[in-house]
Amino acid sequence: MPVSVLSVDDAGLTLSSADEVILDVLFDGRRIWSFWLLRDSRPKGSNRRIAWAASLEKFLDGQTRLGVVEHLSGRVLYDEETRFGSGNGRIAVVNDEGKPLGIDKSGRMAQTFDTRSEEHVAPLLDSIEEVLAALAEAGIEAFPAYGTLLGAVREQHLIGHDSDADLGYVSRHGHPYDVIRESFRLQRRLAEGGYRITRYSGIAFKVDVVEGDGSVRGLDVFGGFLSHGSLYLMGEVGTPFRREWIFPLGTCTLEGRTLPAPAEPDRMLEAMYGPGWKVPDPAFHFETSRQTVRRLNGWFRGTRVFRDDWERRYSSRRDRLPDLAPSGLAEYVVAQEGVPGRIVDVGAGRGGDAVWFAQQGASVTAYDYVPTASRAVQRRAEARGLDLAVRRLNLLEWRSAFAEGARLAHQPGPRTVVARHLADATTRFGRNSLWRFASMALRDGGRLYTEYWVEGGEERALLRRLRPSAVRTELIGHGADIVHEETFDAPGEPGRRIGRTVAQWRT
Amino acid sequence: MADVRARIRGVARRAVERSPLGELARRVAALESEIEELRQQNLRLAEIADVVQELLVPLSSRDQAKVDAAIEKFSKGL
Repeated sequence: MPVSVLSVDDAGLTLSSADEVILDVLFDGRRIWSFWLLRDSRPKGSNRRIAWAASLEKFLDGQTRLGVVEHLSGRVLYDEETRFGSGNGRIAVVNDEGKPLGIDKSGRMAQTFDTRSEEHVAPLLDSIEEVLAALAEAGIEAFPAYGTLLGAVREQHLIGHDSDADLGYVSRHGHPYDVIRESFRLQRRLAEGGYRITRYSGIAFKVDVVEGDGSVRGLDVFGGFLSHGSLYLMGEVGTPFRREWIFPLGTCTLEGRTLPAPAEPDRMLEAMYGPGWKVPDPAFHFETSRQTVRRLNGWFRGTRVFRDDWERRYSSRRDRLPDLAPSGLAEYVVAQEGVPGRIVDVGAGRGGDAVWFAQQGASVTAYDYVPTASRAVQRRAEARGLDLAVRRLNLLEWRSAFAEGARLAHQPGPRTVVARHLADATTRFGRNSLWRFASMALRDGGRLYTEYWVEGGEERALLRRLRPSAVRTELIGHGADIVHEETFDAPGEPGRRIGRTVAQWRT
Repeated sequence: MADVRARIRGVARRAVERSPLGELARRVAALESEIEELRQQNLRLAEIADVVQELLVPLSSRDQAKVDAAIEKFSKGL
C-alpha cells in the first residue's frame, strides 16, 4: 500500500502506510520538518497519526501551501493551500530577525544550512578552520565529526537539514583518566587563547567563536579514545575500531575547503551512523547501544545535570529585575545576626536576595550554575556601586567547588553562607559538594543557612522533596554542627512545608 | 481474565526471582552498578589531580595576589 496523506488539521497529520518512509513537510515550498512515518507516528485505527512537532506549534496560525514529500523519491503526497488556527496571513517560520527556520536533527527549531547562502556559510567554515588550528596548536589532531563529516564525505557540502558544526578528535591516550586530564589542559589552552568554553562532559565542550559580524557561534568539540580495540567517541560512538583507520589523518573537502579527516572516513561514518550513512536521512535518531551509553555516562558525564533546564528557565528573564523584596530566609538571617558583613549566596539565581543584602551594606558574593541569570541585578549593582560579585559555581564539578572554596578560605574572617532552594534542586552529589564548599567558606567562622522543600503543595519544576533528617545527616557527615532546624508552611501556601537548617563548623 | 493473567505473571515473576536465573540477574545488576561506580572514579580522580597540579603550589604561597591570580586563572579555564 503506497503511503498517502488522509487528512491535515491543527493538531497533526493522519496518514496511511504499511512501509517505513522518511517524509519532509514543506511550508510554501520550504522544508520545515522531517520524520519517519512508522517510527514517529502512532496507530490510529488502521492508519497512522502524527502530531505536529512541538517546536512548530507556535507558528501554526495562518495559511501556507502545505507539502508532504517522500524524502528519498521526491514523490509528492500532499500539496494544498492549508489554513491553521484563525489567522489569515502567510505562516512565516522565521526567528525574531526574520531569518528562516527549520527543525534540525535534534528536533530544535534552528537556522538550518539549506536556507543559508554562501556568504552566510563562509564565517562558519572560517570558525571551523580557526578552532581546528587552535586545537592543532595545543597538540590535538581534530577533524570535522558527525554531521559535518557526513556532509563533507557524502556531499562535499554542509547538510541542508543540519544547523551546527561538530569537531572530534581521538586522543593518543588509552585510559579515560588521561583523556579527561588532556581535555582539561586543552580547555585551559583554548581559554588562555581568549576562547569562551562551555564544558559538556569530561571530554566534550563547546568553543565560542566570534565571527566577523560580531555574532557568536558555538562549535562542539567531542573527544574520544581507543581502548582494547574499540573506539569511544563522545557522545554516541562505541565500536570495534583500528588506530590506522584514524591516523595519520587524511583530508576531506567541505564547501570547497580542504579539512582534516580520519584516514578512513567511511569507517568513522559507519561507526557514527551505521551502515546506512550514505542514504540521506533528515530525521535520523541515534540508536546508541545501552553498553556504549553506560560506558560514556560512567566515564565522562554527570557534570551538567539539570543545566539545560536552568538555562531554559532563565533564558527569557535574564534582563528583567526579579522581585527585590528579601526572601523569608534573608529576613531570618538578618533577624538572627543583623546584616552580615560578608554574605555568600549559593544558588543565587536571578539575584534578588543577593542585591538586597548588598543594598543593606553587606559585601556579597553570589554563586550560580548559570551566572547570567542575574544579569539585570548585576547591572543594577554596578550602577549603584554595590559590593556584589557574581561568580559561576558548578557543584557537580569538584574543580569548580574546590577552586571557589579555596578562594573563600584564603580570604580570612567569618562570613554567612545562604543557600535557598539549592539543596533541593541539585543531586546528592551536588549536595555533598555544597556542604563541602560551605565548610571551606566557613573555615574562619560563620553559619550556613539553608532552605528547601520538604513536602506538600504543588510540584515545582526542578525542585525535589528533601527530608530535614537527610540534610542533618549529610551535614553532620561533613563535620558540621546543627545549630537550628525547623519546618514551616510556605507563606500563603498552607500545606507546602519548607525546611530550614542552620549549621556551623568548629573553627 | 485480565486478573488471572496478572496473577499468573506475578507467580511466574516470583518463581524466576527465586530461581538461580533470578539470582544471576540480581548479581549482574549489582555488578553493573559497581562497574558504574568504578567508572565514575576516572572523572573525579582527574579533577583532583588537576586541582592539585594547578592550585596546590600557588596556594601554598603566602602571597595573596599570587593565590588570587592562580585561582582566577584556574576558574577561567573551567
